Amino acid sequence: MKITVLQSVLASLLAATAFGAGPVYAEKTKFEFWYGLSGDLGERVQDACKKFNDMQADYEIICTSQNGYDTTLQNTIAAYRAKKQPAITQIYDAGTLDMMLSGAFVPAKKLMADNGYTIEWANYFGGIANYYATAAGELNSFPFNSSTAMFYYNVDAFQKAGIDFKPETWEQVDEAARKLKAAGFECPLGFNFDTWQMMEQFSAIHNQPIATKGNGYKGLDAELVFNKTKFVDHVKFFKKMADEKLFVVKTKQLGMDIVPAFTSQTCQMIQTSIADHGTIGKSLPEGVKWEVAMLPVWKGTERQNSLVGGASLWVMAGRPEAEYKGAAAFLNFLATPEMAQWWSTVTGYIPVTKTGFDAMKAKGFYDNAPYKGRELAIASLTYTPTSENTRGIRLGGFTQIRKEISTALEAIFMQNADVQAELDQAADRSNAVLRRFEKTYAGQKLN
Amino acid sequence: MEKRSVFNSWWLPILFALPQILLILLFFYWPAIAVMKWAFTLEPPFGGAAEFVGLTNFKEVFADPFYWKSVAVSLIFALCGTFFTILVGLVLAIAVDRQLPGSGLFRFLYILPYAIAGPAAGMAFRFILSPERGLMASVNAAFPDFWNPAKYGTHALVLVIVIFAWKWAGYTFIFLLAGLQSVPRSLAEAAAMDGAGPIRRAVDIQVPLLAPTLFFLLVIMMTEGFVGSDTFGIVHSTTGGGPNHGTEVMVFRIVDEAFKGLNYSGASAQSIVLIGLIMIFTFIQFRFIEKRVHYK
Amino acid sequence: MIQRTPIADAFTYVLMVLGFILLIGPFIVILAGASQTLQQINSVPFHFLPQDRFLENASAAWSRANLGTAMTNSLIMACLVTFGKVALSACTAFAIVFFRTPLKHLFFWMVFITLMLPLEVRVVPTYAVAADLFEPFRLLISALTGTEISVEWNLLNSYAGLTLPLIATATGTFLYRQFFMTLPDELAEAARMDGSGPVRFFVDMLMPLSRTNMLALTTIMFVYGWNQYLWPLLMITDPTYKTTMMSLGALLPSENSLPDWNVTLAGSLIIMAPPLIVVAVLQRWFVRGLVATEK
Repeated sequence: MKITVLQSVLASLLAATAFGAGPVYAEKTKFEFWYGLSGDLGERVQDACKKFNDMQADYEIICTSQNGYDTTLQNTIAAYRAKKQPAITQIYDAGTLDMMLSGAFVPAKKLMADNGYTIEWANYFGGIANYYATAAGELNSFPFNSSTAMFYYNVDAFQKAGIDFKPETWEQVDEAARKLKAAGFECPLGFNFDTWQMMEQFSAIHNQPIATKGNGYKGLDAELVFNKTKFVDHVKFFKKMADEKLFVVKTKQLGMDIVPAFTSQTCQMIQTSIADHGTIGKSLPEGVKWEVAMLPVWKGTERQNSLVGGASLWVMAGRPEAEYKGAAAFLNFLATPEMAQWWSTVTGYIPVTKTGFDAMKAKGFYDNAPYKGRELAIASLTYTPTSENTRGIRLGGFTQIRKEISTALEAIFMQNADVQAELDQAADRSNAVLRRFEKTYAGQKLN
Repeated sequence: MEKRSVFNSWWLPILFALPQILLILLFFYWPAIAVMKWAFTLEPPFGGAAEFVGLTNFKEVFADPFYWKSVAVSLIFALCGTFFTILVGLVLAIAVDRQLPGSGLFRFLYILPYAIAGPAAGMAFRFILSPERGLMASVNAAFPDFWNPAKYGTHALVLVIVIFAWKWAGYTFIFLLAGLQSVPRSLAEAAAMDGAGPIRRAVDIQVPLLAPTLFFLLVIMMTEGFVGSDTFGIVHSTTGGGPNHGTEVMVFRIVDEAFKGLNYSGASAQSIVLIGLIMIFTFIQFRFIEKRVHYK
Repeated sequence: MIQRTPIADAFTYVLMVLGFILLIGPFIVILAGASQTLQQINSVPFHFLPQDRFLENASAAWSRANLGTAMTNSLIMACLVTFGKVALSACTAFAIVFFRTPLKHLFFWMVFITLMLPLEVRVVPTYAVAADLFEPFRLLISALTGTEISVEWNLLNSYAGLTLPLIATATGTFLYRQFFMTLPDELAEAARMDGSGPVRFFVDMLMPLSRTNMLALTTIMFVYGWNQYLWPLLMITDPTYKTTMMSLGALLPSENSLPDWNVTLAGSLIIMAPPLIVVAVLQRWFVRGLVATEK
């Protein structure tokens, strides 16, 4: 047949180029690892892969960036359907439930036990592990790059505006913004429509539910309630501040996202991930004083722990047994204290285990710049033991839900739509997503 | 009737047509049938057992106001895009048709944007028409928010239409110029003798004679704007459907819903509706073109 | 001769120059931006004059987006699409126009109903079968013979997967059919009188006659193949198969670093170049072929 001839010709052509590239180590077991990080962080993942390949002779890990969390999930699905899935894939927080119900993975605990590794599971920070674990607390995937949202502010600008307090409450942020504006700063606080800081983290630290059923942990029949909580007042506050030009929208589409807005000293306060700590330190001009703090709370709030963000590593089902040995070896390698410390140092992501964190603290890692302040992320994540509202978010189709909410925020801040009406609409549409998800996985139970 | 067929062989035509027929069966009809399974069930992203839900997916699609918004956006995009491509193409064709010295060079240049991919053009225009750098920065400095596609849905829609029109204007120009050149010179000369100025002549004589070409271009450009390859690429590389669904054309919505929202079933239902509509449209239009060719 | 008034001529030139600014202006902006330094490109107002930094920017773009692999892949993809499309279209159109068979109308409608359905519209259905393309054959064989075979073929990460779904449309066939219909009946008559069979007629008469048509189709298909965007995005997960259009995203200034649009624009210019050259070089035939078959 025409097709097969064409195919074989192409295949041989391709094989020629592939094998021409370097010597072939037939004896090594090769397996693939797909990740979503790109740019600088992507390079660091490649470094980790290289370290692994250099230190042992049995396996070779091939690491491929899929350029973005959403494309990694999308390509993992395409590949799984075509039975070409990688052994390990990096899936972001929002895709957790989609993965859990897929039946397309090997649970982390099982993988390590099968391959003879002992992992001290209790060593993971509760706030991190809970996000990826079953109800019984057994991890399905490996926490890898973990972060939480923090508040960054420009100390120089604060001093110039005569602000002599730290922004710990939103009342103080309000006051600081007014003083900054009065001192001639065009953008006291920059924000975008990312729901992670604005809604998810805000709700957790203020002990507000996002959805019923413990944010979805207790059943697929959860319903979203973010349109009935303090979050609504918070958005109204942002809207008021935005109208007074004290808070300014900064998005990529508008030309500059919040992090570059902060590092170019356009905006003096932002809320963003601790993972940006390294970038911010590197990008701000030498000598500019800045601080990182836990996210502000409203006065009188009993602060709760914040949520973990980032992504975890899933081991895909349906690969040859030999690859699982390699995957287990790699994951074990990542979990070693040396690697955990290296990873936190070069990126800004937080150590995911208690011993890792303690070791770094004991060494004085957090005492001096440029790493000073990163320990606050751990403080924020472990502020209180996790509760119903701060355990994590376990909702199906959460990518779509985030999009519905950020679209609502877009309408509110760009097109002056009514806050309550928009959030109600977003909640309705998001509930439709949840109901469809529930029906898609009818008969399956959250374990 | 159609052209008289002259060769009599039953197996040769089958042999000649077979490769394409096979490809079309494999890559067109089989997918179209297979996707029915998705459209009438709830397909889990990673595969596996899917429950039959009847027409639920279709009902959900039609009940969604954002679906209808995407239909409206698609229509506006296709209509405005078509109008401007043809308008620009026509004006330029009439100008070049006067065959002044140097018009050959212009004719050569005008077709070039046709070679550019929608997404590549989109990326370049993101710079060219960016609110804070490139050309519009100066205007925005004088009138803040005069142009801001990231903020205003209408601006964003204008942006994607401009890119579409830019890419396709040269294409319509080619056809219209050829159409004009087949208009008998004597007609224009007679009109000129009667004292009709160049613009009068263009409107009264040339444009009516171009009617078949204009109709052909109308159909081609409408289809191109509605479902063409570039439409998705332009939107995806510039506005990403935003702000607030302002530039979400139908094809973009389908792709976004399927691969970002992981709602394969809803996207399949939308695909089937769209494919069905276009098939009907093609059928009707084909009969029409057939007639036109025949009776001419 | 139509009288030429200076005013009308001047007006014509104004229109043509306006058209030039509108249609070619963006190229000039891209070229100017691509050859400027970071400071120059970010200055307001914009400078329209190209500078001397193009090569630096281009090589930065080349390595940033790994354009070497991407350009090769896009070239292979565009050539396969062009070749497959031209060959298959000519054959099918020949079968439809020059033969009388009961299957003629079936072929005709089967092919032409797909005319206005580009891959973008049927991307979800095609994706649905992409993982296992031989399923219909397997079903057929097991229904007929009762045996289960386990042949599998998926479209992920292969040139076949990239190109075949694109070849399976009717545009080229339509173009060829229209061209064959304009040929006088006597031509085939004469061939038959001479005793040359249909295949000889196809090779010796039709092919040479349809050269213009072929070149037009080659131009269209090369541009079409090179410019594919959505399908590679979905079907390629292995960077060795990446095409140029997939590299566009990598060319954009990254989120937290400098807005180096000069590099981005230089990269986009490299990506735009091949189809631009094809259109410029083949323009004469392209235009003639297109226009001749329109009616």
